[in-house]
Amino acid sequence: MIYLDNAATTFPKPAQVISACVGAMRFYGANPGRGGHKMSVRAGETVFGCREKLAQMFSCKEERTVFTLNCTHSLNLAVKGVLKKGDHAIISSLEHNSVLRPLENMREKGLISYDVAAVEPLDDEKTVKNFERLIRPNTRLILCTHASNVFGTVLPVKKLSALCKKHGLIFALDCAQSAGIFPIDMEKDGIDIVCAPGHKGLFGPMGTGILMFSKNIEIESLVQGGTGSLSLQKSQPGIYPDSLESGTVNLPGIAGLSAGLDFIKSRGGERAIHEKETYLMKILKEDLSVIKNITVFDNMHSKIYSPTLSFVVNGEHSEQTAQKLDDRNIAVRAGYHCSYLAHSFCKTTRSGTVRVSPSVFNTKSDVKFFVFSLNLIANNGKM
Amino acid sequence: MNYIYIKFSSQTQGEKARSVLKKHGVDSRLRRNPNPNHKEGCNFALFVFGDIFRAFDIISENNIQTMGIERFGDGR
Repeated sequence: MIYLDNAATTFPKPAQVISACVGAMRFYGANPGRGGHKMSVRAGETVFGCREKLAQMFSCKEERTVFTLNCTHSLNLAVKGVLKKGDHAIISSLEHNSVLRPLENMREKGLISYDVAAVEPLDDEKTVKNFERLIRPNTRLILCTHASNVFGTVLPVKKLSALCKKHGLIFALDCAQSAGIFPIDMEKDGIDIVCAPGHKGLFGPMGTGILMFSKNIEIESLVQGGTGSLSLQKSQPGIYPDSLESGTVNLPGIAGLSAGLDFIKSRGGERAIHEKETYLMKILKEDLSVIKNITVFDNMHSKIYSPTLSFVVNGEHSEQTAQKLDDRNIAVRAGYHCSYLAHSFCKTTRSGTVRVSPSVFNTKSDVKFFVFSLNLIANNGKM
Repeated sequence: MNYIYIKFSSQTQGEKARSVLKKHGVDSRLRRNPNPNHKEGCNFALFVFGDIFRAFDIISENNIQTMGIERFGDGR
């Protein structure tokens, strides 16, 4: 199988990630931070070790680096743990449903309001102006994707961060498609909240997510319970990360995520990984440009883009194309990619799109075989 | 048996302190507090192999929140 669905989750996982997960379960799978025995202590050290690596990678404090179930969980915390009744938020036109739906849920309950700013892939100034135009006196938060999960468009993070600073707003970034691919420095880039999955560009296993927030941000817990600390207090401890990590954390997952972070380093870091993936994307875009009977949405690519490209075979629903590619042992994602906004904005709700997303493990021949197969599907092999 | 340790309400703060001390060449171990306050419940104790007061200063200089130094034991 040629796996080109890395925007959904990276595959394969590095061997050291699998070893770390298995090792945690086999040798020291005790409850981290709960027991006083050696196994529990080692488990706690593993969890902290991963927290420390993440804090260093994203320039955040360890205690403000919280483990969650996934990026959606992190985004729900960022939205529902920050916004109060009467607040207003602004999001982009390329958001995933994990940004849109928590906001819509709060709006339906009459708690908040929000607006959607149009993204101009090749005009950052215009994008920022579109956001600024929507700021109201009660606007509290700008929350947007770093990179579109459908089109790979990268948003102007530094410019949006400057806009937030200018107006005293909180700036939260959905790094589902960018963590591990682009360097993200919360301090230098002026990002208040980062939400990221562990299982995509960070190469950890599924069931791992991260929420990171700067020292000026307070996030209310959505789930209360055991934290292993201050157990005789009736109310949830007010200390981070404990207040946001009720219940047993995913030790095998976090051990794997920690090894995933080491893997990124061993490959030369985010820049080197992005360079390799961009190399594959350039081949892909060039080869697709000569195939007839398809529409490629590379007009949505910003100057720098994440390794994601959408296309359709003209006159065919994207699901049918993906099925035909699957018959040729090529894994891609079709449909609407959990993004009502992105598909509405780009007017692709009729057929959806086929999304191709290589990772550092893919090769030039994977891309070439994909293009060859697609040409058979779209044109019976004729150029 | 007598113990002297630095007390933390959060395991993360305790581990952070341990990591900072390690960078300063001070070895330590984080354990559950052997004598938790009956009003608060579980918390964590950092046992320092060396000068605990110097370690406490290093931790404080790094803005890591502690619950102070605690002694516990039979006095022998």
